[in-house]
Amino acid sequence: MVDLSMKMLLHDRLRFALTAFGVAFSVMLVLVQVGLFEGLIGYAADTILPIRQADLWITSRNTQNIDFANYFPQNLVNRVRSVPGVERADNLMVDFMPIHLPNGSSDGVMVYGLTHYWKWGVPWNVVKGNPLDLRGGPYMFLDDFATHRYGPFQVGEYREIVNQRLKIIGIMHGIRSFTTIPVAFLDFYRAQALTDITFGKTAYILVHLAPGADREAVMAEIRRRLPYNDVFTRKAWAKKGQDYWVFKTGLGFNMGMIVFLGCLVGVVILAQTLYTTTMEHVREFGMVKAIGGTNGDIYQLLMRQAVVIAVTGFLAGTILAFLIKPLARKGDLDLLLSPTLLSIVFVSTVVLCLLASTISFRKVSRIDPALLFRS
Amino acid sequence: MAILEAECLTKVYEEGGSRVEALRGISLDLEPGEIVLLEGPSGSGKTTLMSVAGCLLSPTSGRLSVEGRAVDFASAEDMVRVRRESIGFIFQSFNLFPALTVLENVLFALQVRGRRTPDYEREARMILEQIGLGHRLDFIPAKLSGGEKQRVAIARALSGGSRIVFADEPTANLDSHVGLEVLEIFRKLAKEEGRAVLVATHDSAVRKIADWVLKIRDGQLIEEGPPVTDPEKGHP
Repeated sequence: MVDLSMKMLLHDRLRFALTAFGVAFSVMLVLVQVGLFEGLIGYAADTILPIRQADLWITSRNTQNIDFANYFPQNLVNRVRSVPGVERADNLMVDFMPIHLPNGSSDGVMVYGLTHYWKWGVPWNVVKGNPLDLRGGPYMFLDDFATHRYGPFQVGEYREIVNQRLKIIGIMHGIRSFTTIPVAFLDFYRAQALTDITFGKTAYILVHLAPGADREAVMAEIRRRLPYNDVFTRKAWAKKGQDYWVFKTGLGFNMGMIVFLGCLVGVVILAQTLYTTTMEHVREFGMVKAIGGTNGDIYQLLMRQAVVIAVTGFLAGTILAFLIKPLARKGDLDLLLSPTLLSIVFVSTVVLCLLASTISFRKVSRIDPALLFRS
Repeated sequence: MAILEAECLTKVYEEGGSRVEALRGISLDLEPGEIVLLEGPSGSGKTTLMSVAGCLLSPTSGRLSVEGRAVDFASAEDMVRVRRESIGFIFQSFNLFPALTVLENVLFALQVRGRRTPDYEREARMILEQIGLGHRLDFIPAKLSGGEKQRVAIARALSGGSRIVFADEPTANLDSHVGLEVLEIFRKLAKEEGRAVLVATHDSAVRKIADWVLKIRDGQLIEEGPPVTDPEKGHP
């Protein structure tokens, strides 16, 4: 079988390469932007989803995300503990506070405070230290991501949060907040005592359900007993935080625009190239008709070209995106290229390339094979 | 029995208020094994007549039957069917596919004409061997001489067993020696294979192989008959 579509495409290799590169650029743009976005949005759930023991999260009413905590009386935890089906419930303090650095400057830190860390598997990704020791004094665990903002630090060194001198007794890796503010873990009461505002209060209550407990029934009972609080499952709470950043800050709209522009650039480049190529091959398409080919035969030819360009562009764009991934990591950004994202972008690329080729279809359908008589 | 019968073909182009009558009731018959020469000055309607008779254009009025079947000009599919099954075209500027080799140019034509059997490559090679291009099968058109390109165009026109060949100025881009070789191929196509050949040309050398000459002017047939001897040049 003679594949005229491929032969025509590869006959002018430079044009083919430039067209495929145009599509590859768009694919890369979309993958990198969406991948970074997914990585960024992932941070909004980075301190929620890993606490697998917390089946439910109780927040004050209308809290939007974990970083913007509102406070409520800490003794409400006792009401929760008495709900049938609750195996364990503990207060969790989350607060943004100033940290003073050895060079005399100040920065921010996201302080997490919990009483029984070991019961909740918190903190995770521990590189150095034992979380059990957090109750033993003015201590803290600090994530190594903080190095980028605070400068290098070691276990055994001290840092001052608000006005409290705290010894670093442990280091975690890869726990960060959406706002990229470094995360520190302290004992609950020590974190609570750092400011007057949180005295006698908590930001959240973590709930671990008893085996076999009816989650919905437990949630309903908690809502009845704590009428001024919200109750979420772990995933729902994580999603609420992510939705906040996506839909209430303009971030999602901005991302949508970038994706749209990326697609538009790709479609325009491809449509223009295919159209130009079609115009340059008008006589050949006319010849296809003259020897008995139909518009359908030529459509198939153009569609095959569009699909080949789409697949080539997608592969090249994906490779480029994977090459950028380590560079993004160096900049403390997570570029998530999930199979789902790759699948969606692949299908979209093929569909958009086919759509772009429809402009050429219209031209081809009007080609008059009698033009071949003109020399 | 004529292999192609055209009766009172007219073609009127109307554009922007102007009206051009390109064909004014032309009739013609092509018999198997016959070479018909179509003569006329530029703008006389030769190209339009070949386009209509070749089912590339539909006429404004008139009837056409090819190999005994009336062509339904209202149906694009029917016109495509006639082109695919019965008619081969040869153009002045060859119109080969530049990205395809000599063999592929013919193979592709066979593919379009529905010949996708395992034997179709053998058929293509055979046609090209017959026409003297067996040693150029893997060449792309850019590497061929004008005569060789025209031979490829002829081979492509013959592929699929087209019984009617329309040739438009087939020798215009060739030197006289190569032109004569191409005319000899036409003669063989008609006399040995029984194909009907309609040649539109200004080249008087074609008269040597023609059985019948049609002269048209302003879209009308003004004269027809066997080729007459040119007393000055001493050949028919």
